[in-house]
Amino acid sequence: MDYAFWIISGITVLGALLAVTLRNLVHCVLSLILFFLGIAAHYFLLRADFVGAVQILIYIGAVAVLILFAIMLTRNVTGADGPREVIGVKWWAGSVIAALTAFLLSFAVSGDKLAGTISPGDKAYVGVADIGRGFVGDWVVPFEVMAVLLTAALIGAVVIALEEIRHRR
Amino acid sequence: MTIPLGHYLILAGVIFSIGLAGALTRKNAIIVLIAIELMFNAAILNLIAFWHYKQYAALTGQMFAVFAIGIAAAESAIGLALVIAIYRQSKTVDVDEIRSLKG
Repeated sequence: MDYAFWIISGITVLGALLAVTLRNLVHCVLSLILFFLGIAAHYFLLRADFVGAVQILIYIGAVAVLILFAIMLTRNVTGADGPREVIGVKWWAGSVIAALTAFLLSFAVSGDKLAGTISPGDKAYVGVADIGRGFVGDWVVPFEVMAVLLTAALIGAVVIALEEIRHRR
Repeated sequence: MTIPLGHYLILAGVIFSIGLAGALTRKNAIIVLIAIELMFNAAILNLIAFWHYKQYAALTGQMFAVFAIGIAAAESAIGLALVIAIYRQSKTVDVDEIRSLKG
């Protein structure tokens, strides 16, 4: 099973790198979908089946499509970004900060006793049925709060995006 | 699976840093939102990794990850609506050119 981790990690990091470096916005979103698939594969590898399925449904099915729609609504030319610069002027400062963050995070988790923790295997498996019972049992209040939050976000997104039409009348 | 927990933490750190670099260097507001999604996913991967290695019999880790994914989806919907509203206002999604709130 070890090689699966390395293959999926390579795909995930490749997708993440391409998503923030490619010039064409649509290609960026396609790389982002590759990255989301890699993360979902990691969840399946970690025996979190439900979260993996939710990752595919919400991120690839909803968020990626939403980003594609936003790109198509905000771009005046189809195809590549054109000759205009896509990277900001201070790109080196951002890269240095990100590299420093990566170094510090790696430094913080290596050499600790966390690094030696071994996977428990398949001893006690949490299935989808357990999660479903959790949603209507112990976690029913956060579940309802999440429903209210999503409703508020939906109404808010519609109000923000419809502002122009309301002013026109 | 004999992969130690530290490998997942380092992977999440690398993904988070890639997202941070994208959010700090790219000029397109939509790519900045994509980079923020990368950072969200790195954090949720950490949640699932810690659940798997430390609290495998409990439900809490997976529940927390599902709620975090829901909040991230709400955030991206609002963010993209804001980008569309800004584009209608100023005809650009370049974060260096959107400076009407700049002091």
